[in-house]
Amino acid sequence: MADRRNSTFDPLAAWRNWLSDAEARWNSFFNQAMGTDQFSRVISRFTELSLNMQKRMAEAMGQYFSALNLPTRTDVISLGERLSSIEERLTSIEASLARLAGAGEGPDGASIRIQRPPRTKQPLSEREGSR
Amino acid sequence: MSSAAASAEIADSSIASRVRAEIERAIQRNIKGLQYLTSSPPTLGLTPKDVIYSRGTLKLYHYRPIADEVYRVPVLLTMSLVSKAYILDLAPGQSFVEYLLKQGFDVYMIDWGVPRPEDSRLRLEDYVLDFMPDCISRILADSAEPDISIIGYCMGGVLALLYAALCLDGPLRNLVCLTTPVNYDGMGLMRQWSDRRYFDVDRIVDTLGNVPPEMLSASFEMLRPVARVVTQIRLWDNMWNDEFVKSYRMFDRWAADQIPFPGECFRQTTKELMWENKLYKKELVLGGRLVDIGKIRVSLLTVMAEHDHIVPYEAAKDLVGMVSSPDKREIVLKGGHVSLVAGPNASRRLWPELDRWLSERST
Repeated sequence: MADRRNSTFDPLAAWRNWLSDAEARWNSFFNQAMGTDQFSRVISRFTELSLNMQKRMAEAMGQYFSALNLPTRTDVISLGERLSSIEERLTSIEASLARLAGAGEGPDGASIRIQRPPRTKQPLSEREGSR
Repeated sequence: MSSAAASAEIADSSIASRVRAEIERAIQRNIKGLQYLTSSPPTLGLTPKDVIYSRGTLKLYHYRPIADEVYRVPVLLTMSLVSKAYILDLAPGQSFVEYLLKQGFDVYMIDWGVPRPEDSRLRLEDYVLDFMPDCISRILADSAEPDISIIGYCMGGVLALLYAALCLDGPLRNLVCLTTPVNYDGMGLMRQWSDRRYFDVDRIVDTLGNVPPEMLSASFEMLRPVARVVTQIRLWDNMWNDEFVKSYRMFDRWAADQIPFPGECFRQTTKELMWENKLYKKELVLGGRLVDIGKIRVSLLTVMAEHDHIVPYEAAKDLVGMVSSPDKREIVLKGGHVSLVAGPNASRRLWPELDRWLSERST
C-alpha cells in the first residue's frame, strides 16, 4: 500500500514514454508505406523531374555564359581536373625525391620529427601476468 | 504518526519536489533556450594532430600521442566517403580518437575530404588500390613499423575490407569493421529505394557528377521519418540539461554536415554492391582482380549495432562467417549506427571492448 503511494503517477515520465512509443510506431508505419514499389516509383519519378530541370538549367546557364564569353561550369571542372593531374604528378615527384633523400626525411619531405613515445606498451593482461 | 500517514506525507513532499523541479526546468529551458539560439555551433575534431600527407582532398592525419608509451602497431582509422571524419573525434571526453590515444595507441586517420566536381571520376579502385596503400606506406614509414591495424567505420569498413582482400600479403595485421555491410540484400529500405527498375543511377551521375549531400541526407532521414520532429521535442524537454544539449549540438552539426558522394563510386556501389551484391557473392572485380573476402586471414573484429537503421544487422552479420581468419570475433552492442561509435553510449560500450581486443593484438 505504502509502495503504491510512493510510486505516484508522473505525467511527464508517462509523456516521455508515450513519445518514444509513438516515434517507433510512426517510423514503422511510414517505413511500411515507403517500402512499397509504388513509393519507389514515385520517388524515382520525382528524382527524374528534378534532374531534368537541373539539366535544362545547366544547359541554359552554359549557353548564357558562353554568350558572355565567360567560363562555364564544365570549363572550370576541366581546369580543376588538369590541376588535379598536376598535383598528382607533383606528389609522385615528391615521393621519388623523398625516397632518394633517404630514411631521414619524412614521407612528405619534412625532416622535422616530433618526439614520440616508445612503442613498448603491453596489454593489461600481460602487465598483470608479469607482476 | 502512523506509517500510512508518514507514507502519505512522503508522497506529498515527493510530488511537491517534482513540481518544484519541473518549474525550475521550465525556467532553465527558457534561459538556456535563448543561449542555444544565440550561441555558435560547437567546434569539433580538436584533438591535436599533424597532417603528414595530403593528396587532392585527402588528408592523412597523425594524432599526437598522449600516453607515455604506445603499442607497437599503429592504428589507422578509415571513414566513410559520405560523412565527415570528425564523428570519431567529437569534443574532448567524447572523442574516440582521444580515447584511443589515452589507451596508448598510435593513431592515424584518413580524411577523404569533400570531393570536388572533378573527383566524380573516382572509383572504388582509386580508394582501395591507390589512396589506401599510398597512405599505409606513409604510415609505415612515419612509424617505422612493418604492420598496421585498420579500424573502418561504415563504408570505411567496406574500403578496409576490400583493401584486406586485395592486399593479402600486405602489412595489415588487425582489421576492425564497425557497422560494415557485406550482404547488401540486407540493406532494407535503402535497397528497395535503389531498385534497378526505378532508380536510374546513370542518369543521376551523368547529370550531377557527384551525388549531392542533400540527396543522401534525405534518404538517411527517410529511414526514420519522425526522428527529426521527435528529436526537436526531446531537445526542448532537455534544454535545461547542459550535457544533453552539448551532445545534441555535436551530433546535429555532424549530421547536417554531410558531403557529396563521388559520382563514379556511387554508380559502382549502387550497381555492383547494391544491385548485384557482388561483394557477398565474391564476384566483385577491382582493378582486374577478384575480391574474395574469404581469403582474409588477419585478425578480425566486427561490431554491429542492435538498432542500426542504416546498416541493419542482416547486412553486416555474415562478415565473420565469410573470412578465413583463425582469430575472429563478432560483437553486437546496444545502440544505433552513430551512437555505436560516438557519444556517451560508445564510451561505455564499444570503446572499452575495442581497446581490450586491439591491445592484445598490438604488440
